[in-house]
Amino acid sequence: MTKPIYIHGHGCISIQPTFETNYFFETVHTYAQNPIPVLDPDYKARIPPLQLRRMNKSMKMAISASKLALEEAGNVDIDAVITGTGQGCLRDSERFVETILADEAELLNPTPFIQSTHNMAAAAIALALGCKGYNMTYVNNANSFESALLDGMLYLQEHPSKTILLGGVDELGSRSPEFWNIAGYLKHGNSIIPSPMNVDSGPGEISAEGAAFFVASHQEGKQAYGKIIAVETRHKTEDAAAFINQFLQRNGLDIEAIDAVLMGNNGDVRYDGIYETVCRTLFQGIPQVGFKQVLGEYDTVVAAALMLALHMLKRQQIPKLLHMNGPQHHGLQRILLYTQRRGKNHSLILVER
Amino acid sequence: MTNRSPIAITGMGAISAIGQDVAANLNSLQQSKHGIGPITHLETFHRDRLLVGEISMNNAALYDRLGIPRTEAYTRSTLLALVAAKEAIDAAGIDLGSPLRTGIISAITVGGMDATEQYYDDYLDSDTHRHFIPTHPCGYSTEQLADYFGINGFVTTISTACSSAANAIMLGARMIKAGLLDQAIVGGTDCLSKFTINGFNSLMIYTDGHCRPFDENRNGLNLGEAAAFIVLESPKLVEERKKQPIAYLTGYGNANDAYHQTASSDDGEGAYLAMKQALEIAGLTAEDIDYVNAHGTATPNNDFAEGHALLRIFGSMDNLPDFSSTKAFTGHTLAAAGAIEAIFSVLALQHQLVFPNLNFSQPITSLGIVPQTNLKSKRISHVLSNSFGFGGNCSALIFSKADD
Repeated sequence: MTKPIYIHGHGCISIQPTFETNYFFETVHTYAQNPIPVLDPDYKARIPPLQLRRMNKSMKMAISASKLALEEAGNVDIDAVITGTGQGCLRDSERFVETILADEAELLNPTPFIQSTHNMAAAAIALALGCKGYNMTYVNNANSFESALLDGMLYLQEHPSKTILLGGVDELGSRSPEFWNIAGYLKHGNSIIPSPMNVDSGPGEISAEGAAFFVASHQEGKQAYGKIIAVETRHKTEDAAAFINQFLQRNGLDIEAIDAVLMGNNGDVRYDGIYETVCRTLFQGIPQVGFKQVLGEYDTVVAAALMLALHMLKRQQIPKLLHMNGPQHHGLQRILLYTQRRGKNHSLILVER
Repeated sequence: MTNRSPIAITGMGAISAIGQDVAANLNSLQQSKHGIGPITHLETFHRDRLLVGEISMNNAALYDRLGIPRTEAYTRSTLLALVAAKEAIDAAGIDLGSPLRTGIISAITVGGMDATEQYYDDYLDSDTHRHFIPTHPCGYSTEQLADYFGINGFVTTISTACSSAANAIMLGARMIKAGLLDQAIVGGTDCLSKFTINGFNSLMIYTDGHCRPFDENRNGLNLGEAAAFIVLESPKLVEERKKQPIAYLTGYGNANDAYHQTASSDDGEGAYLAMKQALEIAGLTAEDIDYVNAHGTATPNNDFAEGHALLRIFGSMDNLPDFSSTKAFTGHTLAAAGAIEAIFSVLALQHQLVFPNLNFSQPITSLGIVPQTNLKSKRISHVLSNSFGFGGNCSALIFSKADD
């Protein structure tokens, strides 16, 4: 087991105005489309215009979210940058493929190729901060951010005095959503945000994008949002309840110790049954809170959910709009995040006040 | 051992342009037999123009060798990874069905791009190849590996450009050291694609002939394809099951150059920091290193920066141990490079050999350093292996002899 890490600042860009200070989902943007691009913050406020012009969406979102997190943490020095991205810089990848298919014999512009590499967000952050320390990028579908988080906890265990920047980013691309649609991932009709939960909304997910970054260390500090106790992933499981129970046991807890559970219901009837089962067997007496009904689905959306959990701990509140089921809370000491995507990439994150 | 808790290496597997298993790779290294030649599998404008390190088996042959029905969707990188990981698992003789905590950590740069670039327009019009759509993301490949071998423990994928596999190896070691895993299958894979060939060509760092690492007149790299995996185990586990390790992973370092999107800084700061950390973790000093398997891509920028960083680490040209880049054998295999070169480093320890740096004739004027150009037998206890990538990602690994 690794030791808890404290979160000192965060920055989040999503299809909701999460980049606004103190935003807590009291009001949400509504959408009736699929996929949904992010609400862009003023990127110019944090990225010099010359650099901004050349950056792709992932880089812009990652740098802006990082800088928001750093501002909140008091612009501390960062020793390591660890990121996750399920899909990487999709639009530049598409662009370079399209150029090759158009005419390979031409002298091709290398920029989309360079900026298509999955480590470009972490690299751009390191470059922007001049951070020569540890630098990693995880690309494990819907468990990419969780891998980055695990590595961050491991890194801080090895280097207890250091401070890290940790985050997840995913962009939509242009052709890729067409492929996802063909593959049957996307919802047709009923593509409404906030998505109605607890009703038969048919198959498919509402695709979105975003970035969320955190400043973390072993030091408690004065204004920490909360601490992350543990993270665990499972590529596949037949029994999600058993996976959750074992995780709690390993952390010396039983279900009564959990004050609220954040769950990744996304309105895809093919897979939301997994959440219903664990709710029936485990979470009956606990407030059940959603996030994908307002943030949409993307591989690293759990990073935005982590931000939400930290806000809930700090404010001792659950946003009304997101409270799906279960009783009112009686004090929020410990929150469990459980999510999966398309029946795979199950993950658990345990957060404490 | 100088290191208090070295990580045991108990198995390895490799497929590259110079051999379809570890033994064949060793044989080619010993015979100075490179694998660089014309493109034969890919349909590309560059077919008769650029040279690559291609694996002769086509996808159909790989499906058959693995016993996977050809109707299923596996991209070439995944097929290669399965071949290499299978060899490594068999060699280690580890039990994947046991309650031990097993991890599989794979590195890949462009995921299923070879399918995506081929079916990019076709997907829209016809359903013939649509079962390949899910294979695009990098993580899909690793998940297919996990499913094939029945590993349901820790599964993840790393993509830090050309240093990816070194980082996968490093993560496995760190997780074992921290007590989070008992054993880990770690490595990387990348097949050739039009995407990467055109990419490096558009950057004007693809040679028009054979790459010449560390040569004054080097003019770029040859791409290659490969997959390579090693099995790492905790010292406790190998002791319990009385398995003799083939070598130890003793040091690792990771740093960022934070200088430029693609180019390395002239003084090779990131490379220097990564090597320095690896020595610290291993509890070794630079004088303990007997051989450096360099990144040595043969691009003007990399070899200059790496050479500079080597001089900084070792203090002077006189103190520089034997070093060579093996990329003139295999081509630059991107996410697999750190793993295939980890295996070459272990082979160097096992057989007490320094492998030659091919195609070298004239040292880089401003550095004057000369790589080892012939196969050389010598006493080797510790090997340093470098892997650097776009985005300033620099990693270094140190491998140490088993019976030291």
